[in-house]
Amino acid sequence: MTDAADETPARGAGSRPGDGRRRRFLSPDAAFGWMSRLSACVVLLMLAALLFVLGEAAIPAIRDYGARFLVSSDWRPNELEIPKRDARGKLVFDGGEVVTEKIPPSFGALPVVYGTLISSALALLFAVPLSLGAAIFLVRIAPPRVRGLVSFLVEFLATIPSIAYGVWGLFVLAPLLQDHVEPALQSLLQHLPGFGWLFMDTHGRPLALTGRDMFCGGLILAIMILPIITAISRDVLHAVPRAQIEGALALGATWWESIKVMLAYSRSGLFGAVILGLARAAGETMAVTMVIGNNNQIQPSPFAPAQTMSSLLANEFSEAETVAHRSALVEVALILLLLSLAFNIVARMLFVGSSVQPSRAA
Amino acid sequence: MMTLIRWAACGLAAAGFLATETRLQGAGATFPAPLYARWVAEYGKLNPSIAIDYQAIGSGGGIKSITDKTVDFAGSDAPLNDKQIQALGQGNVIHVPSCAGGVVPAYNLPGLGQDLNFTGEVLAEIYMGKITRWNDAKIAAVNAGSSLPDTVITTAWRTDGSGTNFVWTNYLSTQNEAFKESIGMGTSVKWPVGQGGKGNAGITAIVQQTKGAIGYTEQNYASENKLTYGKVKNLEGEFIKASPESISLAGVGAVGQLQGDVLKANLWNQPGKGTYPIASFTYLIAYRDLNNLKSREQAQALVDYFWWATHEGQQYANKLEYAPLAPDVQHKVGDALGHFTYKGEALKPKGS
Repeated sequence: MTDAADETPARGAGSRPGDGRRRRFLSPDAAFGWMSRLSACVVLLMLAALLFVLGEAAIPAIRDYGARFLVSSDWRPNELEIPKRDARGKLVFDGGEVVTEKIPPSFGALPVVYGTLISSALALLFAVPLSLGAAIFLVRIAPPRVRGLVSFLVEFLATIPSIAYGVWGLFVLAPLLQDHVEPALQSLLQHLPGFGWLFMDTHGRPLALTGRDMFCGGLILAIMILPIITAISRDVLHAVPRAQIEGALALGATWWESIKVMLAYSRSGLFGAVILGLARAAGETMAVTMVIGNNNQIQPSPFAPAQTMSSLLANEFSEAETVAHRSALVEVALILLLLSLAFNIVARMLFVGSSVQPSRAA
Repeated sequence: MMTLIRWAACGLAAAGFLATETRLQGAGATFPAPLYARWVAEYGKLNPSIAIDYQAIGSGGGIKSITDKTVDFAGSDAPLNDKQIQALGQGNVIHVPSCAGGVVPAYNLPGLGQDLNFTGEVLAEIYMGKITRWNDAKIAAVNAGSSLPDTVITTAWRTDGSGTNFVWTNYLSTQNEAFKESIGMGTSVKWPVGQGGKGNAGITAIVQQTKGAIGYTEQNYASENKLTYGKVKNLEGEFIKASPESISLAGVGAVGQLQGDVLKANLWNQPGKGTYPIASFTYLIAYRDLNNLKSREQAQALVDYFWWATHEGQQYANKLEYAPLAPDVQHKVGDALGHFTYKGEALKPKGS
């Protein structure tokens, strides 16, 4: 134990005098130390460079639209040419010709920010109960052999590429929702008071139930974040000291009450797991793009097509032709990056809080 | 181990040294990509020393690449606008149509005995969200005899900026003033209703999976994927189904628009019996003076390839369901291709 501790400090050994090695300009240990420092710096530099490049490319959009970018829901990359009308709504003529005026493109990110937040929230709604249930099962109920197998499968799910979930969502999940789930929900709920809005758009037109909508986006995200929340929750629950549980049982708690003690003890860690899942959901791109319907609109019904920030980027970035369009898309990317950063910082704070000072959480 | 690596390195160097072939690099439009791939393959058989690579990265990407001179030629479905030509250098661009395509309204209504008829007016109102069900009186008015279902219409559109969007929105804007004022024209626009799919594949998936859906794709894509698509009313009042022949006819009507070295024409709503009304050219673009290329041989290869593609190569268009260039159009293209130079020296296309 003490031997291992002596060896761990990176520069301790190399700087010790009289250790018999030839002194060089830079000892291997020191070189390794500097390389590690450099690697750590590169990570920071990458983040800084990312922020700088995105920030710089977004300048035209930030300058042109300012705060309006975040509250406007108009996303129209093309210029409109309309006949000019005077204050009384009459067409303006010039030498017998109708005078036309050009309306420049307009960019507002509200629908995609809304889409990202709502689809992620739906994903949490579906995934958190399942993940917590699975984690409790793994820690408290499952026999060791089953635990190993289920843990392996959960971790395996996390390694499936996003596009595979997307293809499955598009060809299996969406048709299932379209043909069975959504019509069933419609016939069940449509005529009940208070549920009609689920099947109407904001203009009162009937929604076509296509299975490619916010609901499907939320479902696919839930499936994708399930492994990460389950795996982290399992570790957090596993770290609860036995004494806590045994203490609760000794005081006469039932088995269920002892689980409640466990959850309360590790709640900030569990919350961190949920936030990490949320961060993953907010940034997830390909699978969502394939099933969410890709319409930049704000509709209260989850059965209407929607768009997230990342799906908007996936859809439009490669073919964005004008500077205004590109920089507006970059600004969306910047907002997404800052949002993910915020989620991760929150998760980190909660997570570190739970593992370093467990007594506070209890 | 080291020996092995050295040998491998020698092998690579030798392979690079032996390959003294002329290379041409192109990028751009996705719509003609299958035809371009065929051209490259066929041309390679005839000229084994010339290697051509075309990457279907999208029209916008192609235009950007040629402007940055990272490729030797570009493909675009939408013709270059004045600003884009200025970025390349006014008077220093050769821009010719390579083939034509048509955009078709594809729909999913099982059990309908015959092809549906559409007018531009009806299509515009469907995409504006004014017509919301298939049994709407305006659809029924041009489809006597079809029993139209009371199904909600799901409109599907392309989310990526594309030449297909450009043609579709331009055509609909000529058909309906309100469409022009609220949605307008462009490679990407804001649609008030429906849902978006990325690329031809995305829109096809929506149409195939959703009863009551309508979408638009290039005719050859729709026929390859066995999508049902309707006839559209042309300027003469006929309902025409898109085919390579009816699309080629649109080119005939537009010959008058083709002028100079930058040949571009709007093919929607062309007059003439049997003409399909929603058509467009796809274009090949290169610098007029090819001094961005490495050698005169390379420049000559590009000119020869352009000539071959727009002449002998046209026979492959029909086989892949693209509309070949009409003879009058070919003539104008031939004239423009005669204007290439390399550092001021004229380059005469082989075969002209």
